[in-house]
Amino acid sequence: MSTKSIGQEFTKGLWDENPVFRQLLGLCPTLAVTNAVINGLAMGMATSFVLIFSSLVVSSIKKFIPSQVRIASYVVIIATFVTVADRFLAAFFPPISKSLGPYVPLIVVNCIILGRQEAFSSKNTVGRSLIDALGMSSGFVLAMLLLSAIREILGMGTFLGYQVMGPWFEPWIIMLLPPGAFITLGILLALALQIERKAKSWK
Amino acid sequence: MTNNTFILQSSPHFKDKDSVPKIMYTVIASLAPVVAASLYFFRFKALALLLSCIVTCLVTEALFLWLRKKPLHSLRDGSAVITGILLAMTLPPSLSLEFAIIGAVVATTIGKQVFGGLGYNIFNPALVGRAFLQTAFPVAMTTWIPPAALKIQTATFATPLGNLRFQDAIAEGTLTPLKDLFTGNVGGCLGETSAFALILGALFLLSRRVIDWRIPLGILLSLTAFTGSFWLANPEKYASPLFHILAGGFLIGAFFMATDMVTSPIIPRGTWIYALGIGIVIGLIRLFGGFAEGVMYSILFMNAFVPLLNRYTRPRIFGERSKG
Amino acid sequence: MKLSTQMVVVLTSVGLLSGSFLATVGHLTKERIALNKQRETEKAIIQVVPGIVSSQKLYEERDLSVYGGKDAEGNIVGFAIQASGIGFQDKITLMLGTNTSLKKINRLAILDQKETPGLGAKIANSEFFLLYWENRDSSGTITLHKPAVSSPEELLPTEVNTITGATISSEAVLNIVNTSLEQVRKIIKEGKLTGEAQDVN
Repeated sequence: MSTKSIGQEFTKGLWDENPVFRQLLGLCPTLAVTNAVINGLAMGMATSFVLIFSSLVVSSIKKFIPSQVRIASYVVIIATFVTVADRFLAAFFPPISKSLGPYVPLIVVNCIILGRQEAFSSKNTVGRSLIDALGMSSGFVLAMLLLSAIREILGMGTFLGYQVMGPWFEPWIIMLLPPGAFITLGILLALALQIERKAKSWK
Repeated sequence: MTNNTFILQSSPHFKDKDSVPKIMYTVIASLAPVVAASLYFFRFKALALLLSCIVTCLVTEALFLWLRKKPLHSLRDGSAVITGILLAMTLPPSLSLEFAIIGAVVATTIGKQVFGGLGYNIFNPALVGRAFLQTAFPVAMTTWIPPAALKIQTATFATPLGNLRFQDAIAEGTLTPLKDLFTGNVGGCLGETSAFALILGALFLLSRRVIDWRIPLGILLSLTAFTGSFWLANPEKYASPLFHILAGGFLIGAFFMATDMVTSPIIPRGTWIYALGIGIVIGLIRLFGGFAEGVMYSILFMNAFVPLLNRYTRPRIFGERSKG
Repeated sequence: MKLSTQMVVVLTSVGLLSGSFLATVGHLTKERIALNKQRETEKAIIQVVPGIVSSQKLYEERDLSVYGGKDAEGNIVGFAIQASGIGFQDKITLMLGTNTSLKKINRLAILDQKETPGLGAKIANSEFFLLYWENRDSSGTITLHKPAVSSPEELLPTEVNTITGATISSEAVLNIVNTSLEQVRKIIKEGKLTGEAQDVN
């Protein structure tokens, strides 16, 4: 059982245990779909939806699930919400669904979600699990936003489709391609470590 | 014992008069003919690119040394200058300076400093910078201008290899003559056009034993064998090995890039595998790939195998059993 | 309850619950998803065959569909050919608008492509590529003009423009167009075009 305060339970997902920058989880969608802010945001929202509802369901039925079949049950629950998210996007936001392609169904295997069920929701109350899922989701969305903003601004000179760079700006096409994703993530991870180290030395 | 501190150092324990700066300045001297040729053929554009690359590399290097709290005097070892010159030599003459500066920053940071500086990098820094530019600004990096000495005015101009690959040069009879490839009166990157200047510099490097002769020889052999077999089978469709050796970045790549001491294998057997591999990948890309030129990617590709090659070609220590 | 029984019960009920939930969601969204797809096709047809008010599917096979574009009186005034083929990276799907004799191309639209952003992806861009496909003479084989030109006037009526630095993607589109025109000519010759007619609107 977690002994943190409710506030800490939420904020840990933003920085101390940020799924992308601190736990290095869910890197596949982080690298694959962050070539435009709208895609990063949609992916972040879809993942959050799945995480929050899976955490709610898992924490409320945790007493009935025998530990031998817990992973199988979690995966079925997660897959259910992923399919809902996938169908929803295809029905109401077809362009986003098209540009995210197979990465929405792939949320099923996103380690953040299964990881939170196994590490948190299966051991904590419904309320705490909800707060934890909200915090982790916000941390993930923030990471996706940061990465996709850098990549879209440098790769296309736009932010959410609006031109932010002047006409002198020549887009760096590499930022839209996989190498750009790896380079940006690498630099951000290095910065995160550096900030963490500095913060520790101040304490 | 006068000095009671032991020096602990990992092998190899070479004792040699060579120092890092001495090797680096020999390489810089060997690049002089190439730089001179690029200045002659592309005039002011070559000078501007060259200076902006060198200055940016030095400034970025200094910034990183300062950030990492390392002594600034290692700037004087000349490695940043070499990266700058080599990067400039691989750029198309019409490239705007801001792209060259971006390339130089990437070469120094991502190519070198993030690994821990000189001696720790896996990939040739200048080629990392160029690969970044090639992917980031593909149109600017493949727009060529004719050399100033040729006195023709056209907006776009194909490199000999681009001509061969995308304009059916053999069928059209417009294949660049070998004489022009040798003197350098063709389109291309700053330092790759003149085979003559490159061979001069290479001979100097070889005579000073700064580079391992196995690397250029191995690349030469495998590229000749690869392109030669296709040429013999169908000379109507494929260019001769001599064309492939003189055109494009083969010479600058084989003598000045692939031979980088840090990013090439240290054991002769590994060196042969590395060199032969580069030649074959160049041939594959030039003949069947989506690009006209493949020297950069093939060297970077084989750079990635160097740690593995060093590990698996390590000589057996005397007395060690071959198995178990 | 015995542990093994409990495991079976829990897994079965989790499966059943999620299955029935998904069946509902699937049912609710099914129509809308199909409608989205249809709308997209219709938009592309009207874009490539100008001046039509409705369209009708005339033929369908793997990687090739032919639609007839109709004017207000219901006469077919042009064809829209939807075809797919391999590009530099992945499959390219396009919509080609022709007149009824297949001898003139009105316009070309790219429906789906995953070419390199900034290079091959320009095939979906009007200014760089699609503009040069308007009003082409397709009575013979269309060819690619190399190197790239900067205005449609510099091209022969049977030529289209290359994208600088993306010759392979330009060629891929050209191949899809030439192949599909060839196929449709054959289909018309064999009289299969109106075989499985079904109304789209």
